[in-house]
Amino acid sequence: MTLLKVEDLKVYFPVRGGVFNRKIGDIKAVDGVSFDIEPGETYGLVGESGSGKTTTGKAVMGLNNVTEGKIYYDGELLNADKKGQKVDIRKDIQMIFQDPYSSLNPRKRVLDIVAEPLRNYEKMSKKEEKETVQRLLSRVGLGPESMVKYPHEFSGGQRQRIGVARAIALKPKLIIMDEPVSALDVSVQAQVLNFMQEIQKELNLTYLFISHDLGVVKHMCDRIGIMYNGRFVEEGLKEDIFNDPQHIYTKRLVAAIPDIDPRNRKENIDFRERVKDEYSNSYYDYFNEEGLAYQLKPITDTHRVALPEKG
Amino acid sequence: MEEKQTQNEQEQVIQKTPSGIKIFWKEILKDKLALFSLIFFVLVTAIVFTVSLILDKEQVVKVDLFAIHQPPGGDFILGTDYGGRDVFGQLIIGTRNSLWIGFLVTALSGFIGIVVGVVSGYFGGHIDNVLMRILDFFMVLPSTMLIIVFVSIVPEYSTLSFSLIMTAFLWMGIARLIRSKALQEKELDYAQASRTLGSSHFSIIFKQVLPNITSLIVVTMTLNLAANIGIESGLSFLGFGFPENTPSLGTLLSYATNPVTLEERWWIWLPAAILILVLMLAVRNVGEALKRAADARQRRA
Repeated sequence: MTLLKVEDLKVYFPVRGGVFNRKIGDIKAVDGVSFDIEPGETYGLVGESGSGKTTTGKAVMGLNNVTEGKIYYDGELLNADKKGQKVDIRKDIQMIFQDPYSSLNPRKRVLDIVAEPLRNYEKMSKKEEKETVQRLLSRVGLGPESMVKYPHEFSGGQRQRIGVARAIALKPKLIIMDEPVSALDVSVQAQVLNFMQEIQKELNLTYLFISHDLGVVKHMCDRIGIMYNGRFVEEGLKEDIFNDPQHIYTKRLVAAIPDIDPRNRKENIDFRERVKDEYSNSYYDYFNEEGLAYQLKPITDTHRVALPEKG
Repeated sequence: MEEKQTQNEQEQVIQKTPSGIKIFWKEILKDKLALFSLIFFVLVTAIVFTVSLILDKEQVVKVDLFAIHQPPGGDFILGTDYGGRDVFGQLIIGTRNSLWIGFLVTALSGFIGIVVGVVSGYFGGHIDNVLMRILDFFMVLPSTMLIIVFVSIVPEYSTLSFSLIMTAFLWMGIARLIRSKALQEKELDYAQASRTLGSSHFSIIFKQVLPNITSLIVVTMTLNLAANIGIESGLSFLGFGFPENTPSLGTLLSYATNPVTLEERWWIWLPAAILILVLMLAVRNVGEALKRAADARQRRA
């Protein structure tokens, strides 16, 4: 049973210019992306900046117009068939934002921030609401006194916890995490990530985890999709991607993961050089004339790679 | 008992965060000129409004041919005008009228400007386009001239209709300002987050975005208040404000168009002129202090 199914998702942004501000072209931020997420798993979307991973996440969340394609949640079509429609916002899907500094309204107390979804969806008395918020805050490791504080009184990690508390307030099933730790200090990253894994187990959550940090993805995700220029270049289990990368882009990404051991340094540098050469030599074998990836083709049950038609 | 204790704790925590009003107070206390201005303005407003309650308006505007052009002192503190009317009484009622118009116009134009600006900035796209073109249309109109025209053709001429006419041509500046700020704010993640949490556009605009631009609104409205008092006085001076039986600071000032009055009967127009000047300066000073309080970078250390 798939929880989220994305079919041939396309998100184009119009480029306007010329006389009367006509549409003169499209920026294909997401160009035909398909994937499914099973309940309880963590699906990682990886790619460089501008590869369309955040746009994909926001389209699923309903923050971007979907140009084409279908998004099913629990077997139900989320975006109407009409072109350029937004996805229905529903309480089962929630989002955690990249920047904990701007995702919390600076003028609101934590109580109001965390209670916002409750006020929208649940009818609660002031007292119930307060108790619920207190419970949510203690779940993310914050004391009840933080309810009356403002966001700027917290550290980045604490703010991201507030964001998590707000996201789990409605007991969602799917949480979209848009680079949830990229804005955090490295020492805090691990702490927040582990805490997110705990929450996932406790509440049986499904994560769509968007990141560019392969180390973080390796730690968090069960399955991974690698994006480049709005398309998937490779998709598979964590082991498939990290132990047996097939696409040249994935190979280069995996080769770029830093290794702490200084004894391997020379070896690593050589390896990266070799992968880099392979990348520049075979670039045109793996991408078409426009620099886009080909269609995904299954090579095992779990592993799909965008290999060229001719093979 | 326990609940009370936690409440006390909460109150303590609340006090730790300096509120906007507190920051403003600190700023005002540091800036002696602004403090003085604020006290002066509040004092003048209070005096004018209370005294005008006691003062008999009919008595003040009644023509008394036996007391024409009395110099200050004697029966009349500030003398009388060419109709034998008490200048001091006119000054009090006139200041009240001018301030009242100033407040009313600021509030009305602020309200329209804020709503138009925030809606336009938040939604963007076609809504923004349409609203901004309407705004541009109002901007290119020669507003002073049109206010004069409307003032002369309006059938029932009262404080309210005068304020409405002025408002119709004064809401654009604040609308533009608010729009540009709303454009910035809606791009921030918290506005999008609200959307994902199921808040309606209406509640995002007025509950999430608006509180973040209140400081700007307060500052602009204060500075607008000074400008509006000036505009009203200017129009009255030109003879397009209130009729003589409704004195305002501008009507008193307009007596100075008579060269004899200007040269020899200073008591009629000088107090009004000084009051206009000082009031506008005071409001401006307070506004500038507010502006600094709203922007952490400009605050005095």
